[in-house]
Amino acid sequence: MTPKPLRLLRPCALTLAFLISLNCFSAAAVEKSDSVIHFKEVEVTASRIPTATRQTLSGTKLQALSSTSIADALKYFAGVQIKDYGGLGGLKTINVRSLGAQHVGVYIDGIRITNAQNGTVDLGKFSLSTLESVSLYNANKLDFCQSPSEYASGATVYMTTRRPQADSLSVLVGAGSFSTWRARLTGEFSRKGWCGFLDGEYLKSRGDYPFRYHSAYEDTVGRRKNSDIEYLRVEGALFRGGFSSHVYCYVSERGCPGGIVRRLSDKYTNIGREWDRDLFVQGAYERRIARIHQLKFNLKYTDEYLRYNTDYPDNQNTARVDNHYWQRDIFASAAYSVRPVKWLAVNAGYDARVSWLDADLKKFCPIRRFDQKAVIALQADWRCLRLAGSALYQHMKDHTRLKVGAARPLSRFTPAVTLAWAPGDLSVRAWYKCIFRAPTLNDLYYTQAGNRNLKPEYTRQWNLGAEYHLSRAGFSFSAQADAYLNYIENRIVCLPLKGTYTWSMMNYGRTFCRGLNSTISAAYALRDWQFSLLCSFTLQKDLNRTDPDDKATYNQPICYSPLFSSGQTLIVGWRMLQLTVSNLYVGERMWSYADPEDILTPYSNVDMKLTAKIWRFSLSGEVNDLLDVQYEHIPRYPMPGRNFKLTVTFSL
Amino acid sequence: MLKKISLLLPALCLWSAAVARERIILLNEGNWQADNGKITYFDDGRIVSNQWFRDVNGQKLGDTPNDIIQVNENLIAIAVNWSNIVQFIRPDGVAVAATEDVPNNRKLASDGDYVYVSSYGHEVATVDGMLMFDKGYVAKIDVSTFKVVSAVEVGYEPEGIALYDGYLFVANTGGYAFQEDHEYETTVSVIDAATMKIVRTVDTGQINLYGKLSVSGKYLCINSPGDYYDIPAATIIFDCEAAISGAPDAECFRMLEYAATYSSQTSDGQFYAIGSRFSYYTSEYQFNYVKIDPEAVFASNGAEGVTEEFPGTLLDDIKKMTMPYGIYVNPYSGYIYATDAGSFAAAGALYQWDSEGNLLGVHGVYINPAHFLALDPDSETTDTESVVIEVVNEPASPLYNLSGLPVGNPVRGQIYVRNGKKLVY
Repeated sequence: MTPKPLRLLRPCALTLAFLISLNCFSAAAVEKSDSVIHFKEVEVTASRIPTATRQTLSGTKLQALSSTSIADALKYFAGVQIKDYGGLGGLKTINVRSLGAQHVGVYIDGIRITNAQNGTVDLGKFSLSTLESVSLYNANKLDFCQSPSEYASGATVYMTTRRPQADSLSVLVGAGSFSTWRARLTGEFSRKGWCGFLDGEYLKSRGDYPFRYHSAYEDTVGRRKNSDIEYLRVEGALFRGGFSSHVYCYVSERGCPGGIVRRLSDKYTNIGREWDRDLFVQGAYERRIARIHQLKFNLKYTDEYLRYNTDYPDNQNTARVDNHYWQRDIFASAAYSVRPVKWLAVNAGYDARVSWLDADLKKFCPIRRFDQKAVIALQADWRCLRLAGSALYQHMKDHTRLKVGAARPLSRFTPAVTLAWAPGDLSVRAWYKCIFRAPTLNDLYYTQAGNRNLKPEYTRQWNLGAEYHLSRAGFSFSAQADAYLNYIENRIVCLPLKGTYTWSMMNYGRTFCRGLNSTISAAYALRDWQFSLLCSFTLQKDLNRTDPDDKATYNQPICYSPLFSSGQTLIVGWRMLQLTVSNLYVGERMWSYADPEDILTPYSNVDMKLTAKIWRFSLSGEVNDLLDVQYEHIPRYPMPGRNFKLTVTFSL
Repeated sequence: MLKKISLLLPALCLWSAAVARERIILLNEGNWQADNGKITYFDDGRIVSNQWFRDVNGQKLGDTPNDIIQVNENLIAIAVNWSNIVQFIRPDGVAVAATEDVPNNRKLASDGDYVYVSSYGHEVATVDGMLMFDKGYVAKIDVSTFKVVSAVEVGYEPEGIALYDGYLFVANTGGYAFQEDHEYETTVSVIDAATMKIVRTVDTGQINLYGKLSVSGKYLCINSPGDYYDIPAATIIFDCEAAISGAPDAECFRMLEYAATYSSQTSDGQFYAIGSRFSYYTSEYQFNYVKIDPEAVFASNGAEGVTEEFPGTLLDDIKKMTMPYGIYVNPYSGYIYATDAGSFAAAGALYQWDSEGNLLGVHGVYINPAHFLALDPDSETTDTESVVIEVVNEPASPLYNLSGLPVGNPVRGQIYVRNGKKLVY
């Protein structure tokens, strides 16, 4: 374990870098020899002037976190709200600066994970164990040679797959509270310029955690029912130079528990069960020609199957359904960038995606969406100044034999512009981005809800920020702060229609959000000791600007949006021991405007993880929610409370 | 909380002696699966409480209360749908019993001794054991024991229920037709309430008889939202007398091309109906605010009897609402009430008009205010002496924990509830 500052992902020596051309900027970060953490390509993507608002967790820090999915890592980032329905199987989505989950693009090695059906990615399905880093960019990543889809979301989460540097084999077994069992087998190789891994993980959990609601008018105790999950995830990756590829397969079965409501007994439960089978294969090839040209091609095929079943005798409350959904998606992109003169870079790209959705719902038939995007981006440098701008064109067309007919094709231009100034260890940036999210296939066509007349939901973001880096022998420090404004128009929501009991998707709502995000990180090493501290703060006022005549809601905070939240992670390493303590504080959130009592109370979630390395074994013990707060993200969906995990890893 | 109410009530009683008291219990459905169904108690022009059940009983009502009726002068029944509870309270709000024997309960009717509950569920716990049904059913609860004494299968997803002259009339929706492997229902089941046997099934030819059902004399006003695609919404005016006398199906009802999503009987034997006809093809909807005279509708074969004659400013006020969510005429006074659900995340509003349609006030209530019950202005059930927890003798006297869950293996020293009383075991 060598938690040496990962300098290339925390850009320092920027002025120096500024003078060096991109092609020269390929030196790998040198990790100590026994470490599995190496860089080969990652640093190429790091911009020399930090134009983008970015937060990253990588390498040892990432693995040091007490986490099972990437949702657990992302929650420590400033400006992030995780929505979690509780338990290992509960849907976990990320919301950045209150834009909404569907404005956050999630990418694996630069290729977007999509869901044409509902537009959200369940972060619970992705493991940290195969990743080198997780980064969050507000607006664009601003790299050379990006595909257009990388410009197409309000915020982007990049997951970078680890490239092994040596042959290894490791076996992990773990046990946790609520009958949770986990096993993982990872094989890695690196030879003759090729490297890759195969990683398989199996988890089974009963997830029947206890909960308690206690107030002046309620004292409910119980155990979560139908909250079990079982999954198998198999991933493989193969790399050679500019070629990278990734195969991902996830098969799961889980229970979907409902909200905890008053019942006289446990006789009836609202059982719904879900089966998933997700598969994707992707490949990318990147090449530089004559030092000034760069080309990148991406190809991806996704196949997803979902079954949802409620046909159980315990379930007396809902329709008894057994529905199956099938989605396939082919994506291809080409990007080209050129640096004709030293101070100018031009990036142009085109990508195309075809998505199919089918389901055995009544009055439903297959839908095909053809989604094309093109981008032109410029980046001009003058001394310590950088100006970057992009124009994205998107065209979407749906085909269906549904009687309601397909929505009208959508074609729109959206701009983004960034100005950055980096005179030394300090850099300052200002950016603006306008982007929309297109209505998803569910929004448009879902039986008895879809509305094919929906308009896209637009966001406009302004940001002004600064960051500072300091690096001395054995000590490094960085801090950043961004103030931002964003507007969202034509929010796509599902509401009951006036004068009917019918629910339908509609464009309704505007929000105005002002906020301040800040992160501070510091690392210090002294003989056998290493310390590192990561802090994030979010102060955000997110206001409802929908209906000026509605006094109860206009200019009131958006539901579920806290005014203040913060996260602190301290990692202490001593020889072969490492201790991580993290705390996440989330302030009060209201969940309805109807009653001042309708609030979710503030909580502090403290996680601890202790890892010890002995010979070829690594032992780790975790306590999550140390204070047993049992907080809620969604009212009546309690989180598990204090729980324990123990894992043993054997590596060769 | 109890103390506060007990101080408040005598004062209100004195003041109201001069005029007829307007006492309304209003169910706020809350948000689905948020366990925030609440009762508003409205007395003489003011909201006494928007969480009346909680104030009086120290506990929550449950998730999505769906219907409320007066059983007899001492008892009120509430169908708390997602909680699977039929909750019984006294007119002063005190909870006296609750049963979960009728899961997925929808709407209620009563003759004073029995409560009849429609259910979308497929099983019911009766005194003779569990009964299972493929379709939906109607259960009969004896209010002397709060047990289900019998049940009868009707159509899929039975909704509105009315009692007329010893017969129950149940509107079947088949509302799960979009998810389940069956079609929409088009029928009204007629049941002999004494024997709980189906005597006939009237086919209206119109699908999905869903939503609120209003009764005025022998007439029912039944809404059908259609299927939101090819079949538009309609209103069925049903003649119970004709159905009992054995008239052919076609003589038992008239169909009108209006929606009656929200309806109420009026004090002059007619119906108010508010609703919209919506199509997913066009995403357009067509509103209607009508007054229906059932006599005239039957006499003219549906050609006449529908007007837009609303008294005073009633219609203008309703049209200004963001989301009308219920309409009700107090049968004792003729005063008119309607609710606006607003934006669904915010508190709804209760509007009150006198019988001439003069707006008397608008009051903030809670989320999704939907179902009304007027209390008899002359009864004095809310006098302070009676606000004492009454013990109901349940035959088995089971033990419950403080959250209302039955306890099989009680632990010594813990606090439990038996017969509504807390005790240390």
